[in-house]
Amino acid sequence: MIEIKNLKKTYSNVTVVDIPHLAIAKGESVGLVGNNGAGKTTLFRMILDLILPESGEITSNGEVVAGHEHWKTYTASYLDEGFLIEYLTPEEYLYFIGGLHQQSRAQVDETLTALGDFFNGEILNRGKYIRDLSKGNQCKVGVASCLLQNPQLLMLDEPFANIDPSTQFRLKNMLKDANKSKGVTTIVSSHDLNHITDVCDRILLMEKGVIIKDIATSSSTLSELEDYFGVGQTVGATPVVKIDEEENH
Amino acid sequence: MISTFIRHELKAFWRSKNTGKSIAVRIVMIFLILYLFGCILLAGIGMDKILEIAFPNDDLVKSFCGIVLIYFLFDLFMRLQLQELPTLRVQPYLHLPIKRNTLVGYLAITAVFSMFNLWPFLLFLPFIFKIIAPDSGIIVALAFVVAIIGISVFNNYLALYLKRKSNLNGWIFLITAAVLILIVIADFWWHFYSLHNISYAFFGRLLTMPILAIIPALLGIVMYYFNFLYLKQNLYLETLTARKVKIYKSNTDIPFLSRFGTIGDLAANEIKLVFRNKRSRSSLIIGLFFMFYGLIFYTNKSLGQGWYLFAGMYMTGAFVVNYGQFMFGWQASHFDGILVSKITFSDFVKAKYLLFTTVSVISFVLTIPYVYFGWHVLLVHFVMCVWNIGVTTTIVLFFANRNFKRIDLSKSGTMNWEGVGASQLLLTLPLILTPYIIYTPFAVFKHPDIGLALLAATGFIAILTRNYWIKQLEADYYSKRYRIAEGFRNK
Repeated sequence: MIEIKNLKKTYSNVTVVDIPHLAIAKGESVGLVGNNGAGKTTLFRMILDLILPESGEITSNGEVVAGHEHWKTYTASYLDEGFLIEYLTPEEYLYFIGGLHQQSRAQVDETLTALGDFFNGEILNRGKYIRDLSKGNQCKVGVASCLLQNPQLLMLDEPFANIDPSTQFRLKNMLKDANKSKGVTTIVSSHDLNHITDVCDRILLMEKGVIIKDIATSSSTLSELEDYFGVGQTVGATPVVKIDEEENH
Repeated sequence: MISTFIRHELKAFWRSKNTGKSIAVRIVMIFLILYLFGCILLAGIGMDKILEIAFPNDDLVKSFCGIVLIYFLFDLFMRLQLQELPTLRVQPYLHLPIKRNTLVGYLAITAVFSMFNLWPFLLFLPFIFKIIAPDSGIIVALAFVVAIIGISVFNNYLALYLKRKSNLNGWIFLITAAVLILIVIADFWWHFYSLHNISYAFFGRLLTMPILAIIPALLGIVMYYFNFLYLKQNLYLETLTARKVKIYKSNTDIPFLSRFGTIGDLAANEIKLVFRNKRSRSSLIIGLFFMFYGLIFYTNKSLGQGWYLFAGMYMTGAFVVNYGQFMFGWQASHFDGILVSKITFSDFVKAKYLLFTTVSVISFVLTIPYVYFGWHVLLVHFVMCVWNIGVTTTIVLFFANRNFKRIDLSKSGTMNWEGVGASQLLLTLPLILTPYIIYTPFAVFKHPDIGLALLAATGFIAILTRNYWIKQLEADYYSKRYRIAEGFRNK
């Protein structure tokens, strides 16, 4: 699905992403973990052709991403609130996104009805513009707009960060369902190690722009990650779960 | 503590993105402000002359005393509209161990540092020292100064209080505005009383009894204290923020545009952008004000057809220029979303063309009443409308590809310099000059109508060859898109 070769990005002489080779196959569910500044969001942005790498290239379905638009038809993503049109109501926004994919309003409504539980009655018909929603509810709108597009590739940057526990569990189930029964390739980043190891079959651990671990999820993965993140803590002590806000670029 | 606040405040000013990233913008800004103050000061210095012309039968001092109160009514109205609340600045300090009285005092005091408090002095001090001081002595002049300070302070805090109140309840603003307007109408239309006389009744007495100046001074102090108490009781985020009352926001459809598919959807979104955000709304309203340009140009017989072009261009294209000059900065906050979604650039640009064409045609229809000044005026409007739709839009979009500055939609438009950069300053020149490059040679040789016809032809050709220009814009855009997106991400 995605292939990355010799990808490099530097900001004022500091390398933020340096990936010699990475291949993500169709139908994989990939989790991206790493501390703030590890380069997760930058990597996402390069895969989405939002920033240009210094060198190297990314291909999606065998075609180069940079400067092309073919991938847009099957890729859905939500990185931050900057992906939402803040002065529209959630309905207007979702109809708009559906319209881009030639869906009628009835079709959009159908998808949204299925998302009723996920929305928990806080999104639709509330008479609010997206800008007036809380960060968590904005995230729900973003995720919904992704699912609406019936993507083959789904990319979410820290979707668990701002949403409430119930929604976190629902989102996990939705991601698993999309991946297992619909074969959607998912790439998700998170600071919540429990969630990410639960949802993803493959974990990429990034540090200072380099992928230092590429592991298939097993029963020992969680403790392996906790060992890495729990710097200076004795193994077996209370696990350090990092839930902090992503840095703003 | 207060000195720390002031230091923070100064840092906030110099480091804010608004304070102009480029020197050019800062210089233009300073000049504009100086110009504005200069104008007011000139009016102040020439006050005696102006009053002589306005009230030729009255004594100079009498007519001066008569207008002071009227000015302050107007002043209050202006403040309600334009003065900014010193608001969120205390938010970072609320949870820290700092005394409430210090915070409130600071908030209340800094409210005095508003441009509005300079105006009355620029306007009235010259007259007071030029006419009143030599006539009635320095004591009386000082009494006038004290009275003016008092009323300014009173107005300042009254306006802030009303603004804070109206943030909680939108009706307050409407009621206040209605009351102010009623006060004026009751005088000038219904003649129930005369503000002029009321004003003179007080300020006239000041001439003989300077001690009366203590009344406005007391009023000012009371209003300040009142404001201080109110703030102290309401030092909570909800009352401090300038957030308006929530009303139910409904979904809107624009049926006319839906027939254009994705392009129509994009244009509809942009229309919603214009109407649902403060700053873009004000650029539309300014556009409506330009509709009155014709009244200036067409009533003045000494201005020839050359000026008609200018008026016609602005009346049918004010929105294109005013709104377009900041493109695509309006969409900066969700530009990433646009880039990754299934929108091709040509659709994106076509939507802009659709929007501009719609608005220009509507503007043209609105200018039809100017046919009163002759059918030729209407013809010029039509030609310039075609020109705007064909040529101006393309020039605007060409510069839009060179605009890397984001615009925060939530901030208001008055004195807001965010998003202003070299590309805006450069834009106006070709916009105004190009029609004249075509028109002037013919006008000089006494064939202005040929020039006009040529302008229309150019406009039509540009419309017919639009797809070619879209291709050019697209190629240009692809070489700059990463820079644009990066600039927009910089908050």
